[in-house]
Parts: sequence; C-alpha cells; structure tokens
Amino acid sequence: MMRKSLFISLLIVSLLLCFPSARSNRAPVDAGDNEFAEFEEFEDDKAASAENTVADEIEEQPHPSSKSAGLDDNEDEASVETEEADEFEHFTDEEEFEGFDQDRVKAKEPVDLKITNVPRHLYTSYESYFFEIITLLGISVYVLNYFFGKHKNSQLATAWWNCHKELLEANFSLVGDDGQGKEINEGILMKEAEHVYSLWCSGRRCCEGMLVQLKFIKRQDIINSIIRLSKPMNDQIVYTVQMEDMDKFVFAVAQKKTGITLARDMNDLAQYCQFKKVDKYAIPSQFSLLSEFEESTAAMLDSKVCSILNKNPQLVEYIHISDQYVGSRVVEQDKSAQPDAPTTVQKVLIICFNASERGRTTKQDMEKMIQCTNLVFHLMERVRHFTLSREAKEKATENRRKIDEALQKTLHQQRQEAAQQRREDKRREEKDKLMTIDDPDRARKLEDKERRRELKRKQPKMKQMKIKAL
Amino acid sequence: MNDPRRPDKKSRFKPPTSGAPSEDSTSDYMNILGMIFSMCGLMMKIKWCAWVAIYCSMIGFANSRAADDAKQTLSSFMLSISAVVMCYLQNPQPMTIPFLSST
Repeated sequence: MMRKSLFISLLIVSLLLCFPSARSNRAPVDAGDNEFAEFEEFEDDKAASAENTVADEIEEQPHPSSKSAGLDDNEDEASVETEEADEFEHFTDEEEFEGFDQDRVKAKEPVDLKITNVPRHLYTSYESYFFEIITLLGISVYVLNYFFGKHKNSQLATAWWNCHKELLEANFSLVGDDGQGKEINEGILMKEAEHVYSLWCSGRRCCEGMLVQLKFIKRQDIINSIIRLSKPMNDQIVYTVQMEDMDKFVFAVAQKKTGITLARDMNDLAQYCQFKKVDKYAIPSQFSLLSEFEESTAAMLDSKVCSILNKNPQLVEYIHISDQYVGSRVVEQDKSAQPDAPTTVQKVLIICFNASERGRTTKQDMEKMIQCTNLVFHLMERVRHFTLSREAKEKATENRRKIDEALQKTLHQQRQEAAQQRREDKRREEKDKLMTIDDPDRARKLEDKERRRELKRKQPKMKQMKIKAL
Repeated sequence: MNDPRRPDKKSRFKPPTSGAPSEDSTSDYMNILGMIFSMCGLMMKIKWCAWVAIYCSMIGFANSRAADDAKQTLSSFMLSISAVVMCYLQNPQPMTIPFLSST
C-alpha cells in the first residue's frame, strides 16, 4: 500500500515537472516574428487537452490498490507524448483505420544512389563547347598568320623595289606602268596577289619591254606553310623580256627537275630542242641543257653566265631563250577548242632566280639580287647581237617550216572534222523534221528530194559536154 | 652614247587576257568547296560542315588574286557564316564530330 502511494506521488511530481517545460516550449510566440504562430497556438490547445484527459484519468482512480492492474494501463495512457513520438502511430489504431501498411512507415532501407551518365551534348556549361572553342582559336590563328605573312611579303617587295629603282631607271625610260588610265603612270609596283608583285619597264634598246614578277611564297596562308614543311619552296623573281629582234634559235638551261617540267610543258622546247650533255660546258652538273643548235648554246653560256652559275648554283632556276615562245601546253590545249584562234608567237628571254634557299628570305637578299638584274641586261645584249651561221639559219628555217606545216595540217583536220560534225547535225535535224510531218504526200516529196540530193552528191564530178546534132 | 634608254620606244603594260587560266586555281577550288560545305551545313544541319566552310572561304580569300571577282569570295564567306549561325539558332547544343564523339 505504501509502495502504491509512493508510485502515485512520483507520477504526480513527474507530471508537474513536465508540464511547465512543455508549456515553456509552447509559450505564446510573438506573432510578428513567427508566421506559423497561429498554428502553434492550435497545437498548444491540442496538447493541453491531451494532458487534461490524462490528469482526469488519474483522478478517477480512488483506490490505487484496487486499480493496480489498471495502473499499468494508466501508465500507458498517461505516457507523455514526447517529441520522438512516431507521427504515424495514430494510423496503427485498427478501430480507426484499416489496411494501413506498417512496413511502409518503418522501411529504412539503405538508398543506393545511381548517377546516370548524361550525354555530353546535353550539358550546357562552357566546357561542353570544346570543339567550338578549338575552331575559333584556329580561325584566329589563321587570321593572325594572314596579316603577318602579308606584311612580310610586302616588306620584301618594297625592299626589292627600293634597291632596284635606280638601276631600272638608268636602263628604261618607263618604269612601273600599270596600264590603267589614259596617262602613263610611273613608279607603280603592281600587287597581283598577296604573294605576287609585278613591275613593267619599257623604253630600252634591244627589247620592247620587260615584266619583272616577284613570286613570293604564300606566307599569308598557313596551310601552304604546313605544306612547305614537306615540299620546300623558294621566293622567285622572274624577268620576262620581250625581245625586239633576235635570231632563230631556242635554248634553255635549268635545274634538273625544272628542266624536265619545262621540256614537258613548253611547246617550243618540246618541238625544237633535245636534252644535251652539260660536260662540254663549264656549268655544274645539277643543271640540264635544252638546245636547238650548239653554237647558240656556246654563245649563251659565256664566261659571265658560267661564273654566276658556278659561284651560286642555287641562284638561277632557269634561263629560257626562244623566238617561238607560245606559252605552256596547257594553255595551248584550251585554245585548241577554237582552232581558228591565232597563236601568238613571241621572241622572249625569260630568267628565273631564287631569292633564297627554302624561303628564308631577308631584306639583305633583295640587295643581292642586283647582280641578277645585271645578268639579265647582259643576256639581253648578247641575244640581240648573236647571229647564227648560214647553215644553222637554213636549218632553223627548215625546222620552223616543218613545224608550221604540221600545225596547219592539224588545224585543217580539225576544221574538216568540225564541218563534218555540222553536216551530220543538219542531216539529223532534217530527218527529225521528216518524222514530225503528218501529211504523207509532203513527207514522200521531201524524201524524194533528199534521195536525189544524195545521189547527186555521190556521183563523180564529170564535165558534161553537149554535142550539137549535125 | 652608252645610255640604253629609248624614250621613243615606250609601250604601255598590257595585262594578260581575262580568259586565260591562271597558274594557281586554289582560290576557285576553295570557293566551290566552301559553298558545298555551307549547303551541307544548312540543309543537313551539320555543324562541323559549316565551320569547315568558313575555313575554306578564308583559304580561298588568302589565295585570291586582285583580278579575281571579289563578289564570289565575299558571297562564299557570307554563306558560310550564315550556315554556322543557322545551325546554332536551330540547335544551340555543342558540336559533335562523328568520329570523335564518345558513345
């Protein structure tokens, strides 16, 4: 009995202790600070009503001894709802709810996270635009290289012009005409492309004019720069002199590879020249020789030319002298489509110099090219004053006549083929016209006419004599 | 006496005929290639084709001569840029290169 009273007193004390702390938790909150104050007040009322029911249940028990068995129930009923109470506990009441799955509430399986691989094209960060950035970088590199290469070529051209201006003005009365406008312009270095510059000079003895072409490597194109790593190229200066008068011969000396290309591509070299041995002449073996006559070869390869070829073999790419120059065979093939178009034959002296080795040209190299320009003037005078012997002249005339006859024959054949083709087309048109005519009489008349015309054409042409009857 | 100049023999420069084919036709090839890639990029919405078209137009421009028609080079350029712009307007996703993209 004593024990039961002690227990009840302990219970009441615990209730009294818990009630103030619970109440402090549920102290009225300043509505201004807390948006959910009104809901907390509602929860306070709910908690207070629950405690009241517990307290009433305790007061209803007059004899603790008689209600010892029920005390356990009271303990259960009087247990204070702690904060750790399961929020879904009221769902377990089977009188209130049916079919509630307890497992769902209590399932606390470990979560196995699976991170799926999102394809790269679904990203939206800057890193995903990797290829675009690389492409734009490539474009900017190309543009930068374009401006640097263009500037370098322009500097080399200007350096060449500044070095040669005086020498050219001392040899020509007109230097640097561009052919534009009515008045003659002077001092213009024409820019044909970012890597090709041209200069026209005229008004000198021995020649009608001279075209100087500065053919630099394509420094403005980075793709060309990459190709040059495997196939080295040089900056070249080409002097093309249109000779006023020269004797009839064709001659060329060139670097071996260039010589083969020239022999294949140049019409005059292919028709008039054969490869000759260089041993007889004092020139390095890396050159090849194409010549029509030995005396012209000996005259052109004089001491001055040979000394330059020996001193600096890489300087001269080729020397081409011809009185039958028509250009390359590729251009000729294009012209063959029009067989009646006249072929322009020119007397030329063409010399190509390499400004440097492997494209490493500097402004100082342009100054060294003055000796090349002097060589051009020397050869110009030499070609003008050289004359062939009588036999060589006759042979040259004969050669040219034969070539000309062969050319005329080819042209005549082409003209005949063209005429035949035209006749065939005309006949086909007439036949098509016959097929389309509906009237059978008219068709028959046209067929007869055609047959008579064919017979007349096939008949041998004979003179007809009329004999008068006596 | 030794003056080689002859003022009475002056002749004006005659540019080569426009019909004659130039030695270097890189510019023409690149312009055509650029147009082909631009059309592929526009019609088939292939982004890398459009970017390659820009490169072809740039190479064609760098190799062009003063005598060439500038309108063709410019039109090739504009077409390639419009191909790139249209591809990204229709699909702003990053470019995928077929033989380099990861599965």
